[in-house]
Amino acid sequence: MSAPTLERPAKTAAPGAPQPPGTLARLAAHPKAVLLVLAALVAVVSAAVAGSGEWPADLTVDVRTPLTDFNEWLVDNRTTHPLFLYFLLHISNTAESAVDGVFSGLESLGFLGVTVAAVLIAWYAGGAGLRKRALVTAGTALGTFGLIGLLGMWEPAMDTLSLMVVCVAVAALVGVLLGLLAGLSDRAERMLRPVFDTMQVLPAFSYLLPFVLIFGIGVPSAFVATVIYAVPPMARLTALGLRGADPAALEASASLGANAWQRLWTARLPLARKQMLLGLNQTIMMSLSMVVLATIIGAGGLGEPIYKALAVVDVGLALPPGVAIVLLAIWLDRTTAAAGERLDDPDEGVRSARTAWILRAVVVAGVAAATAVGSALGKQEWPESWVVSIADPVNDVTGWIERELSAGIPLLGGTQTWADGFAEYVLNPLRSALVGTPWWALLLVAGMIAYAVGRLRAALTVVLALGVIGAMGLWTRSMDTLSQVIAALALTLLIGFAIGVLAARVGWVERVIRPVLDTLQTMPQFVYLIPMIALFSGGRFAGVAASVLYALPAVIRITTQGIRQIDPSALEAARSLGASTGQQLRQVQLPLARPALLLAVNQGVVLVLSMVVIAGMIGGGALGVDVVKGLTKGDLALGLTAGIAIVCLGVLLDRITQPAAVRERTAR
Amino acid sequence: MTGTDTAKTATNTAEAATGAGRTGPVFAVRDLWKVFGPRAQRIPGNPEYAGLSAGELRERTGCTAAVRDVSFEVKRGEVFVVMGLSGSGKSTLVRTLTRLIEPTSGSIAIDGEDVLAMDKNRLRELRRHQTAMVFQNFGLLPHRTVLDNVAYGLEIQGMGKAERRAKAMEVVAKVGLEGLEQRRPVQLSGGQQQRVGLARALAVDPEVLLFDEPFSALDPLIRRDMQEEVIRLHREEGRTMVFITHDLSEALRLGDRIMLMRDGGIVQLGTPEEIVANPADDYVRDFVRDVAREQVISVRRAMRQADGDEATTGAAIAPDTLVVDAIEAVARTGAHCRVVEGNRTLGVVDESQLLAVVAGLDGDAGEPRGKAVAAV
Repeated sequence: MSAPTLERPAKTAAPGAPQPPGTLARLAAHPKAVLLVLAALVAVVSAAVAGSGEWPADLTVDVRTPLTDFNEWLVDNRTTHPLFLYFLLHISNTAESAVDGVFSGLESLGFLGVTVAAVLIAWYAGGAGLRKRALVTAGTALGTFGLIGLLGMWEPAMDTLSLMVVCVAVAALVGVLLGLLAGLSDRAERMLRPVFDTMQVLPAFSYLLPFVLIFGIGVPSAFVATVIYAVPPMARLTALGLRGADPAALEASASLGANAWQRLWTARLPLARKQMLLGLNQTIMMSLSMVVLATIIGAGGLGEPIYKALAVVDVGLALPPGVAIVLLAIWLDRTTAAAGERLDDPDEGVRSARTAWILRAVVVAGVAAATAVGSALGKQEWPESWVVSIADPVNDVTGWIERELSAGIPLLGGTQTWADGFAEYVLNPLRSALVGTPWWALLLVAGMIAYAVGRLRAALTVVLALGVIGAMGLWTRSMDTLSQVIAALALTLLIGFAIGVLAARVGWVERVIRPVLDTLQTMPQFVYLIPMIALFSGGRFAGVAASVLYALPAVIRITTQGIRQIDPSALEAARSLGASTGQQLRQVQLPLARPALLLAVNQGVVLVLSMVVIAGMIGGGALGVDVVKGLTKGDLALGLTAGIAIVCLGVLLDRITQPAAVRERTAR
Repeated sequence: MTGTDTAKTATNTAEAATGAGRTGPVFAVRDLWKVFGPRAQRIPGNPEYAGLSAGELRERTGCTAAVRDVSFEVKRGEVFVVMGLSGSGKSTLVRTLTRLIEPTSGSIAIDGEDVLAMDKNRLRELRRHQTAMVFQNFGLLPHRTVLDNVAYGLEIQGMGKAERRAKAMEVVAKVGLEGLEQRRPVQLSGGQQQRVGLARALAVDPEVLLFDEPFSALDPLIRRDMQEEVIRLHREEGRTMVFITHDLSEALRLGDRIMLMRDGGIVQLGTPEEIVANPADDYVRDFVRDVAREQVISVRRAMRQADGDEATTGAAIAPDTLVVDAIEAVARTGAHCRVVEGNRTLGVVDESQLLAVVAGLDGDAGEPRGKAVAAV
């Protein structure tokens, strides 16, 4: 027991104290560091003495009984209480009928109509004509819908798309309105910004919980949760665009006597167009991610077959919907991104109003023609005979992986060997250390780290977050989850920094990985589980690996950008003094990129944590599994407390990885 | 103090009102202050702060006086240049004229009408029809074509699409941008972009053009082109212009009158020749030290009394002839020149007078410098 406990404080102290504690004199110069070391010592000693440190039972509060009671009350009153009758039921009915309406609209277009519509819209967004960009986007759309049909995923894809259309429309509208508010009024911005900041840190599933409570399982909960999840980027970027407009252009507009409305309409909004399109892009991608995730609360669509396949560990079944989701993501991303790029393109020239109308007419006519042809041929649905089943070959490959790669490869071991080894030598000791340390000592260390990197307020927040976890009686399960998160985070940062530094220094590495990162970043969280199941067939390591894969792109990207964006003259000066590669990196690039690296750590925390629940589905266990159970079985006492515990862990990790200085800067 | 100030302001507006119409000054500015900072209202006219330098004022009050008790008039049809280094308050001053920046105190009248008394709508009308501004950073709308940028001011006035485009086309031709109407601003060079900015201002046919360092972002050759463009436009249209610059040669080249500013206050106001020949203080003298004096000073200032038959011999030149041109005439004939106004000979110039101008030994320009040296 003593060996792992010794290991732990050293690990947790690392992010808090950037410089290794050297001589006593150096320590004395940093009183915060002294306190940190003392706290760590106390933790180690007390852990060695006590051996076990679970949260005392008499300090817990029974939150489950009232939650269960509340849940039962909601279930009983959902159809009778006036709040539901006159307000909430309207929302859920409207949402439901809107989604149904879009679905039957897509259905009546037929598969030909939908495909042609997608292709023509992509073509139009890409700038129309025979431009390369327009043709590439159109081709992407064609490939996406063709493959979705071939994979036999047409029906669920249309489900997902219908929910998406409604969610994105509402989220974009609400986002623009809130963005206008925040962009034009300082007071509104001061009020909205902290809300958006918090929303960005919350994991996706935490939006599902409260709405399942209110609306029950089904499309309305998914709709409301998705809209709320997807609004912030649209609002934030609209506000940013409105505020970032060229002041000279705005002044010119004022000097010509424009009134407030004219200024908004002719100058502010057009100048913010690019940012707003970026916001729309992010809103769409977040909606897709959430709509897929909302499968676990019965939203249907492409997530459902994946969810079912994961439960029985059938990769062959999970892959087609997974591929379909990735294709949808790429199509949506490319189409909206192309619309944004078009604004920057000076060669675009000017399209007269008449040409624009002609092009739009072409789009509509094309869709109508395709629909007519489809119904004339009597082919509304994707023909059964055109479906290619890939389940068997995929399962053959997975079987081969399990047989051949799981263990016994000389020198390398095998996937299962790695997974077991990681669990045995990293996850288990880490968990024992966290569980073995007395709760009060852990509170002390966490508080001290938060104090060292931030302020007193951060320390109090951290202690409070841990206190809430303990009081809910979820201490042990949370420590289990925490050990997985810490391991995943460490792995993410190790790999992410290494690749990020490499990409920053070697041009071709950056060029090679950029499209890979682009694709990875557009994929919904759910999809990451499929290869992990194939390689490791579930378990804690599979969950950790999925989290690492999910968090890596952002960490690599921020690291690379941070190192690239440092003052080039500083690097040039170091080079002219004859600094070696290592010296350049250690003495110039990394220190100057420190804010970016800290931001990368913080982003890593947010992303890893948002995967906890999803990893719970493939054997991550602990809090993640509790949330999934709570969501699917309607056991909200279980789901909500576990969800709150995860959010508390998130707050804890966020505060101890984000120094006050970085927080202030990103806020600006 | 404040009492007399208000009294002065009142009489001034009364005068301006009576002198309104198309003959009086375009802008009449009296005792104008713009103070940035906490409780800025207490600074103007307060004797306690009157003697303080800009740095002392900031230290004592936390306020910065960007425009400090400035009074001047812009005459109809002239190019009025406001010159000063960065931070001298000139850009703030030009913005207060149309209340893009609200002045702290003082009075501004345009055609005799009190600008500070205008309500929102009247002020908007003023900005739409009476003035137009050209900006240092162009302030073009990147999503519009050149033509629609030029027509922007007309659009704001509420003019229909066809009409404003037709009008914009005329102006585009006037500033030499033919053929570029359908381009976007990013596709143009800096000089072309500023031509668009100039065209946008001209399109609304304003009474006064306000230029805020319009050419300082351009490279020297283009800047010269643009200056000539402005001179040409002024010659053709005779429009009143208020021109802000930090470039002395630009000021001397364009200005009918130059107002030199420092730390928010006026240091000297006069014609280019007055400023070069009679600097008000050491600051101005320092400023104009490197000016080629022969290109600014006229022979009226350099001539001496005619001696004997000199009044009847030699080539005749006008009193406004620049020294540099007189040098050419003298060098060519080898004799003195007569300065003639109408039929009357005012005086003569020969080599020694002209050389004195070039050397800076003429009149009072050299004398005070000697005094300053003696005083040190």
